[in-house]
Amino acid sequence: MHVYIYDDYLNKGKYHKTINRLEIRLTDLGLNGKIIRLGGIKNIKGTVQNEIRLGAKTIIAVGNNQTVNKIIGAIIDTDLYGDFQKKTLLGIIPIGDDNSIAASFGIKNEAEACNILLARRIEKIDLGLVGNHYFLNQATIQSADTTLEIDDYSIEVSEKGEVQIINLLSDKDIKIKSSPHDGQLDVYIKTRKKDQTYLTAEKLKVSNPKHKLVIDGILEIETPTEIGIIKDRVNIIVGKDRLFE
Amino acid sequence: MFSKESKLEKFKDAETVIGSSIKVKGNFQGQGDIIIEGSLEGSIKTEASIYIGNQAKIVANTESKDIIVNGEVRGNIKARNYLAVGGTAKIYGDIQYGEISIEKGAIINGQLLLLSEEHKRGEKIKPEDKENALEK
Repeated sequence: MHVYIYDDYLNKGKYHKTINRLEIRLTDLGLNGKIIRLGGIKNIKGTVQNEIRLGAKTIIAVGNNQTVNKIIGAIIDTDLYGDFQKKTLLGIIPIGDDNSIAASFGIKNEAEACNILLARRIEKIDLGLVGNHYFLNQATIQSADTTLEIDDYSIEVSEKGEVQIINLLSDKDIKIKSSPHDGQLDVYIKTRKKDQTYLTAEKLKVSNPKHKLVIDGILEIETPTEIGIIKDRVNIIVGKDRLFE
Repeated sequence: MFSKESKLEKFKDAETVIGSSIKVKGNFQGQGDIIIEGSLEGSIKTEASIYIGNQAKIVANTESKDIIVNGEVRGNIKARNYLAVGGTAKIYGDIQYGEISIEKGAIINGQLLLLSEEHKRGEKIKPEDKENALEK
């Protein structure tokens, strides 16, 4: 059974046509299923877990990065996680802005997402972890005055720019070999001096007295904080044009 | 062997790059090729190759299979296979190498020591093995 979870912002009038088109396409492809609208639901965790309990084969996040993160947050670290990993897949239908996670998986728009759901190409994906918060894409922080502690060494950045701690690469302009299933985080630092730094780490500690760490462009976290990775944590349906091998 | 073109070819897939605005402190270890354009204090070691750019300032012992030095290194260098010292290099420390090339203009203040075949392969003879051999 397919369970489509619509984010609440999709209730806005400007998305009605897109949603109608989407639902017709899903029906044509024989992919129709149960629809749950997050607007009005207070207990997302309970709702998602209930669907897994009822035997959902695929849970599809319809929305943006935040929608995907809400659903992942509802599944991981629960009693049902084992069931989810064995039986359930996560699909994504991107609608509107802020959809870098879907783009990383090679899902450019809602029409393409329907074909990708039908093809069911599955990848096990690592999840980044900051405190109790999981992330698929990356955590970022301004580079000036940032210190990273990795294994037996530390890195200090004095120039202005950005530090990206990447699980799943979403920026095509960053030319590094990055894989979301190698059990490693990629640390990428670009400063105004135009120089680039990159290296890999399984875990690191980030400190910056002035700036906060931002997870997947949504959640701000105070530093110092530790970032880690959990290997092959979620099964996701991906497109063939995904940004990793 | 280490012309500018071959260097770029060799390091284009480097696993680690330390940019010029980065300062690394501590013991830095890797498996793949490493490019350093910034500064590093402590020690650096990899099973593959290290490229030290002409802006780089290293205060560390450096150990690798192949090493190219164009910047400043204060510390000992051990290149098990090949060490290329560029014309802009400044090395203040002892050097152990398998093979070496030194470009005109390079500054070296330290001892140069050719590694034995065993050390080139990275195989160290344990003291007890030596004693056993002597007894026989």
